[in-house]
Amino acid sequence: MDIDDILASVDRGPGASRESAALDHQLLTRFWVAERAVSEVLPWPAPLMERMMDRVRMQIETIEDLAASSGDTDLQKTTNTHNPNLNLRLSILQTDLARTQYIIRSLLRARLAKITKYSMHYLVHLASRNKNPLSQTQSTNISSQNPNQQPEDSVPDISSSDDLTPLSEPEAAFLHSHQTLLAGHYAGSFMGAFPRQLRRLDDNAGGTSMIQGPELREVVFVRCLGVEVPVVVGGEEDGGDFGVTMRMGDVWVVRWEGVKAAWGKGEVELL
Amino acid sequence: MAFPLPRGVTASEIAFLAEMETVTIVPRQRLEGLELLGGPVEPLVPPRRASLPLWLALLLKRQRRANIMPPAWLHPEPLSLILEVESGHQDYKNAFSPPPPLPGQPSVLDRGQEPTARPQYTPDGNRYYAAPPFLPQNTAQPVNSSRDPPSLPFHWVEVGNMLLDAASDDLVDPDQIRRLLKDLREVRMAKLRSGVEVLDAAATGGGGVALTGVGSMELGEERGFVTGVVDGLRKIGSSKEQARREQMAEQRANGGYDGTQDDDEEEDYMEF
Repeated sequence: MDIDDILASVDRGPGASRESAALDHQLLTRFWVAERAVSEVLPWPAPLMERMMDRVRMQIETIEDLAASSGDTDLQKTTNTHNPNLNLRLSILQTDLARTQYIIRSLLRARLAKITKYSMHYLVHLASRNKNPLSQTQSTNISSQNPNQQPEDSVPDISSSDDLTPLSEPEAAFLHSHQTLLAGHYAGSFMGAFPRQLRRLDDNAGGTSMIQGPELREVVFVRCLGVEVPVVVGGEEDGGDFGVTMRMGDVWVVRWEGVKAAWGKGEVELL
Repeated sequence: MAFPLPRGVTASEIAFLAEMETVTIVPRQRLEGLELLGGPVEPLVPPRRASLPLWLALLLKRQRRANIMPPAWLHPEPLSLILEVESGHQDYKNAFSPPPPLPGQPSVLDRGQEPTARPQYTPDGNRYYAAPPFLPQNTAQPVNSSRDPPSLPFHWVEVGNMLLDAASDDLVDPDQIRRLLKDLREVRMAKLRSGVEVLDAAATGGGGVALTGVGSMELGEERGFVTGVVDGLRKIGSSKEQARREQMAEQRANGGYDGTQDDDEEEDYMEF
């Protein structure tokens, strides 16, 4: 790499250098496989996705420019400037673009499927973390006394939230409007006929929560990339229960909750 | 429904991943370098060898613009050696032959050496360890030393079949290779199926089942079955696990926890 390359990469904006293109592609591929492998929504890698979307946009422009120039040469029948490889280059670039777009599309759709499946879980999760406890208790008090209790009232408001992990901003907006529509539909079709106290979608009377969340104890296939990675389960309450230790290069079938922290550090890869 | 596919990558997605493996080609025509989204592609100048992603190599091959150099492992000799190890060797009766080492991992021959992970850093400052399909495991000359015994890369089924389909004229004795690949697949599938009994270990809290050396497509085929069995076993054993956890918490509260509780669990797993 000489100084011109460095200058060129700076010109094209941050993260547009050639090495980072290959690395980002690998990161995106790995993230896509991981998102497909687990049942919960993984934290949205905002910087990576921004870089990828920028690159896709630039690549589309490049392809359009190339296609336009090939159209010109056909029209004018200028044989001496015609590049015999132009069509080949175009088809390679388009195949590459289509492959990347496929990964991005599949990734987003997999996330949307999980978000709609566990919509109440994620809404409650976001709302409980962002709201201060005082206002939350107030809102539950008000809603439980409200004589015109509707299913829509049990949809938490997350518009004021600023920490949306693991979702991206559009995903959070989608989640909220999706659940509001769904609650409205339930109210209109059958829940409106229920007794008032049975109309909440987040009912947990009798100690059984109606909210279904992703199953974190499901097993996943992982490859250990760090030197030694222990499987840790039950980390929150008792400081961790260490199970088997995976060594570098090993492939294991283990519980997702046991390797989630190691995955966050990049020491294991989901397969 | 936003997304109809089941959890875990499916067979066609695995083949898609395998197409990202790097292979060596001998171009038949010139082509200037390209900036792809998957990384830059070097200029093609015949008869100089070049390394390209498999999908691009196949695209060029189908248009007769290049010949693919078979990967170092995709020859009759290394394959029959691996088959011999897989089917006859005492140590590998219940285990797969060792996979190609990751960068920084000592080869099978120097067992005593400690591995040293060599991470790269992502633009966001996280550590990144390269892994298949982004390691040169399918190039004509493997990067790791030639004294290493031959090994099957992670995407061996897919790469092998794709090359047999599209580039069989570039392979040495393709019929023999096809036969060996089929034999290898059968031997390994039998091992995978016979290992079902140890799946119970993966259903316990910190336990797991090692499948080191397994191929991507083999994993994809068994994924539904294995996750189904393990999840079923976990549900059956969940009350037992809850009781054990409570007992341990109690012991810890009394200060008498000495770690012997999960010993049996750790020895439960079996390498296969």
